[in-house]
Amino acid sequence: MSEPLPPIVHVVDDDASFLTAISRLLRANGLPVRTYSSAHEFLAQRDTDTPGCVLADLRMPQMSGLDLQSALAQSPNPLPILFLTGHADIPSTVQAIRDGAEDFLEKRAPKEKLLDAVSRALVRDSRERAARERQRELRARFDTLTERELEVLSHVVLGQLNKQIAADLGVHERTVKLHRTAITTKLKVQSVAELTRLTQEAGIFPEQDRTFPKGQ
Amino acid sequence: MLSGTQESLSRTCVEEYSRPIQMSLITIIWAMSASACLTLAVFHFLVWCRNREAWASLLFSLLATGTAAFAFCELGMMRARTPAEFGTVLRWGHVPTWLIVVSLVAFVRLYLKAGRPWLAWLVCGLRTLALVLNFLVGQNLNYREISGLQQISFLGESVQIAEGVSNPWMLVGQMSFLTLVVFLVDASVTTWRRGDRHRALAVGGGAVLFMLFSAVQSVVVFWGIVRTPIVATISFMGLVAVMGYELSSDTLRASDLVRQLQESKAGLHEIEQRMRLAVEAADFGILIRDFTRNEMWASERWRALFGFSETERLEFQQVLQRVHPEDRDVLQSVLEKARSGYGVYDVAFRAVLPSGEVRWVAARGRVQFDGAGKPAFARSVSHDITTQKKAEEETQNLRRELAHAGRVTMMGQLASALAHEINQPLGAILRNAEAAELFMQDEPPDLDEVRAILADIRKDDQRAGNVIDRMRGMLKRRSLDKKPLDVGELVREVAALARSDATSRRITLDLDVAEHLPPVLGDTVHLQQVLLNLIVNGMDALDGSTRGDRRVSVTAALDGPKTIEVAVNDSGRGVPADQLTQIFDPFFTTKSDGMGMGLPISRTIIEAHGGWLWADNRKEGGASFRFTLPIAEKDTVK
Repeated sequence: MSEPLPPIVHVVDDDASFLTAISRLLRANGLPVRTYSSAHEFLAQRDTDTPGCVLADLRMPQMSGLDLQSALAQSPNPLPILFLTGHADIPSTVQAIRDGAEDFLEKRAPKEKLLDAVSRALVRDSRERAARERQRELRARFDTLTERELEVLSHVVLGQLNKQIAADLGVHERTVKLHRTAITTKLKVQSVAELTRLTQEAGIFPEQDRTFPKGQ
Repeated sequence: MLSGTQESLSRTCVEEYSRPIQMSLITIIWAMSASACLTLAVFHFLVWCRNREAWASLLFSLLATGTAAFAFCELGMMRARTPAEFGTVLRWGHVPTWLIVVSLVAFVRLYLKAGRPWLAWLVCGLRTLALVLNFLVGQNLNYREISGLQQISFLGESVQIAEGVSNPWMLVGQMSFLTLVVFLVDASVTTWRRGDRHRALAVGGGAVLFMLFSAVQSVVVFWGIVRTPIVATISFMGLVAVMGYELSSDTLRASDLVRQLQESKAGLHEIEQRMRLAVEAADFGILIRDFTRNEMWASERWRALFGFSETERLEFQQVLQRVHPEDRDVLQSVLEKARSGYGVYDVAFRAVLPSGEVRWVAARGRVQFDGAGKPAFARSVSHDITTQKKAEEETQNLRRELAHAGRVTMMGQLASALAHEINQPLGAILRNAEAAELFMQDEPPDLDEVRAILADIRKDDQRAGNVIDRMRGMLKRRSLDKKPLDVGELVREVAALARSDATSRRITLDLDVAEHLPPVLGDTVHLQQVLLNLIVNGMDALDGSTRGDRRVSVTAALDGPKTIEVAVNDSGRGVPADQLTQIFDPFFTTKSDGMGMGLPISRTIIEAHGGWLWADNRKEGGASFRFTLPIAEKDTVK
């Protein structure tokens, strides 16, 4: 894992006055803030490696908050998004929450509610970021396996014995043993149980997750 | 003298002996003629007995009887044994002649409806005179004295004819024949000219021909010019035949008419059945009112429609009681209009049945007037349109709801836009203030930052103010287009707009506009909006009301020399005293679905006209919304 960077709150609002005011408040609360006058500007300057969250006005010319949300969801490291609006109307609230918005706040919402929502979003971001990091690291480890080793692994995680695997694949039992050794070495695991857990966590064989072993 | 008598006596014996062989032909012809005439006479007499109007039949019967009698007289003359017997028979023969002539004249007058009356009277008079003379002068009208009888051959038989001195008075009788012929010719010509050629030829022509024949014969025989027996029977028979034929074709025509009548009766029955079927199928109730007898008749369906039993006697007042009190005046005025000459009516009203059920009824009627132009009958069909009316009401409710939804949406959007626009600067102010508070807690506080914040707060406050100003400007963007306008017309126009809504909500909308109100200067569209808003508010106020009297009244009258006051009063519960001023605040509403914008906007409009809008509660209950409008200056009204 790389050195953790301090999280940044990205504020996107076409209303310059409000932008200044809210960044002042966040900064006074010790949060690093970057401001953008439009969604396009934010998307162009975005630094995906830095943790943080987005505070965006729902109503903006050209690209609205909801458009920004869906654009953000496409990226490998999506930042949690918080919506701000002058006046909350039901349809846009429903839409935003359904699409996974962290929160939905009126511009005149109490300060505490605003700060709570921001810190919740940051916590969520660091958690999701860590999960994604581990996922990537696991994937990298599995990527070192050869195709034959993956095939053997798929049988191993189902709890099959070497003899059965050899019969299924039509190879010698000794060859299976050699593959198993290579797998545990490459994946840096000690036991079959750990191997199985890791395989599941990495989501290598999703289609087999809920099936019982064949035969018997 | 004695021997002569004996001689004739013995001759008679010989004749008696030979009579059955010798006289058969004449006897047969004359007897048959007489019996045929008698048969016809009896037949037509019976016709007349059955139908006393058939005077032609009676006259024909008399004519035929006369002819039969005359035939016997002729036969008697031809068979007379002595001159005295001949004379007596001839004398009595004038009686049937008189009958024939008089009945012929009367028949022609009656049947052809032609012939000059004076000629007719003349013929009858001469003939009557002849009959009287016949019994007074000489042996008979024709002979002063019959000296003897002469035997001549006639139709192969020997018959008697008279010899003697002709009676000059006979001229009277012959004159009557001549005038009769003239009368007949005249009558035939008239009939012919009238276009009834068949009758003119058959009756007139036939009568003329046969009468002329007998007239000529009587002249030549009785003046001794030709020596033949009197055979007028032949021509009279012809007369009877022609007239009998005419009358019998009349009888045929009558029976034809009877048949046609029966057919048309059957057709009428069929039409009646069809009508009944149509009326029943259409579920129409029928009402007939007889004004002269002051009676009413109604079909079963009509009685069921209004809740009358099948036997109940109907009175107009009673029927009127079944009409909803609110619809009574309208119905009566419509009926009155139809009765006073308009003739037709088409009206829809509510009927209230004894059970309390209310039905919508559509009635369509026609008034029939008598010769003097007075109403005689009124016939009408009524049918139940409750379902239709309900559907209409529902549609109207739906439309109203839609319109309201539209208004709510629009107001909602407006309110949303307003909130958004204002929350933007307000949010900035809030966040800035919060930040400033935090900066002030620092040691030392960053006063430069705080100063900048305060400047921004001021700026944002300005911005919020601008938003509000802009909104207000937007609301009254349409400048007033003031023109002189008639308040009465304004009230009536708006009432017309609201009328159907009021009716469907069972609300009476009253107007009381003072006459000759001076014009005011105003914007028609805006003032219509205000008035409509107030009327709709008034009607809405009745929705929760349980009072029986559901009424909204609009009055317009002068209030001082320079102002007109318009008031919209309702019979609802009124406005709580503490809300009388509040109701004019924006967004204040007592309605579940109201926006609270109607009254503030209305007040703005009225104030822009230089007037004032306020609310009161009426002593008799309900609210009164009043506004004033200044009267237009004289010089602004051209």
